[in-house]
Amino acid sequence: MKTNNTEGCGLCNATWGEYWREIDGDNMYFCCNICADIFETMVKKVKEITGWKKIDYVELVGNYSSGRECEARNGEDAFRYYFRTYSNGKFITFEKR
Amino acid sequence: MRCPTCLLHIRGGYAELSDHIYNMLGKTDSNHIMWINRYVTRSRTSKKELEGLVKRVFETGDLKEWIIQKFIGKFFSKSPHQFLVKMQKPDRWTLLGYAYEHHHFLKQWVKSCSLIIINTDFEEIHHYEIDNIISEWHGEKGRFPAHHELLLKMGQSYGASLDDIYRTEPLEPTLHAIQTWDHICRNFSFVEGMAAMHSLELIANRKMKEYGASIGYFDPVILRDGSVTRETVDFLREGYEADVSHSEVALALIAKYSSMLNLQQEVQAVFFKSIEEFDNYLNARIERGAILENKQH
Ligand SMILES: [Zn+2]
Ligand SMILES: [Zn+2]
Repeated sequence: MKTNNTEGCGLCNATWGEYWREIDGDNMYFCCNICADIFETMVKKVKEITGWKKIDYVELVGNYSSGRECEARNGEDAFRYYFRTYSNGKFITFEKR
Repeated sequence: MRCPTCLLHIRGGYAELSDHIYNMLGKTDSNHIMWINRYVTRSRTSKKELEGLVKRVFETGDLKEWIIQKFIGKFFSKSPHQFLVKMQKPDRWTLLGYAYEHHHFLKQWVKSCSLIIINTDFEEIHHYEIDNIISEWHGEKGRFPAHHELLLKMGQSYGASLDDIYRTEPLEPTLHAIQTWDHICRNFSFVEGMAAMHSLELIANRKMKEYGASIGYFDPVILRDGSVTRETVDFLREGYEADVSHSEVALALIAKYSSMLNLQQEVQAVFFKSIEEFDNYLNARIERGAILENKQH
């Protein structure tokens, strides 16, 4: 699964740390386990709502404070959503946009 | 020196502090990574470069100004904290969430102030904390109610019962924050305890906009437009006026004593920790509001 964060962490794009986790069969790079937890939960929520079997690409815009406006893509389909978490990764908000 | 993330006491100077942080980053420790990403840099640097950057974050000729600017950066920037966004025109659920969680915050507050008193012989500090306890927790019979009492009345004005506010346990982030503040005030120097607690009062300081904040704690128009209950106006107005003197007097004391006791960096480290906890705690107010709203439907 690709994201617009090409330099670093799949969620926040930071280049510190080195934490790998398999997401949907792809080994993805994150800056830490919390970013990986958030990303993994986010993918699960998107799949639950859309019923998709896979996600090809996720665009994430924002930060931890204001939350992240996102668009997930699966082939021709797109799903827009917003989410925000506590700093330990627990979700505060996840909503369809 | 003290680590702003794990609060570890570190012998030496910025080289040693930066060494410790660099090691923790190498171990992919999420808390240290979060701190570096949020306050220093999101791009990996060399060890030597990091030392310079860490030093630059702490260096200041004016501690009071440094605290105010870091606080603005954290909560009042162009992407302000979401609780502040909600407070511009607060609805019933935001104010109820505020009342339920802040009750626990204030219960710890009075204990923190007392621990600060226990940890020092400076009478100036005793007087300051006692004055703070009276306005936040005790009030003065026949003259003015405590801030805590006004908070409970605000909750009641939106239909919460006293019993329910008292019986509802704090959410996990509130509890975690409370335990951190208790730990700092109990075990660290009084001036670090003061920095952990009283810097937070800047949140309701109406001069924040003059200092560069993008928004205020709330839009003052709600004090007169009838969009919130009279009890809410009483609660917010009291804080609005009281916290100006509280926070700024405290910052002057913190600057004076941290310089006298050579604890400036330690105070800054504790401040960083405290604002992280406060960030989560403000989110817990939002979460509590959402929980109460969902119960209703
Ligand atoms: Zn990350
Ligand atoms: Zn540390």
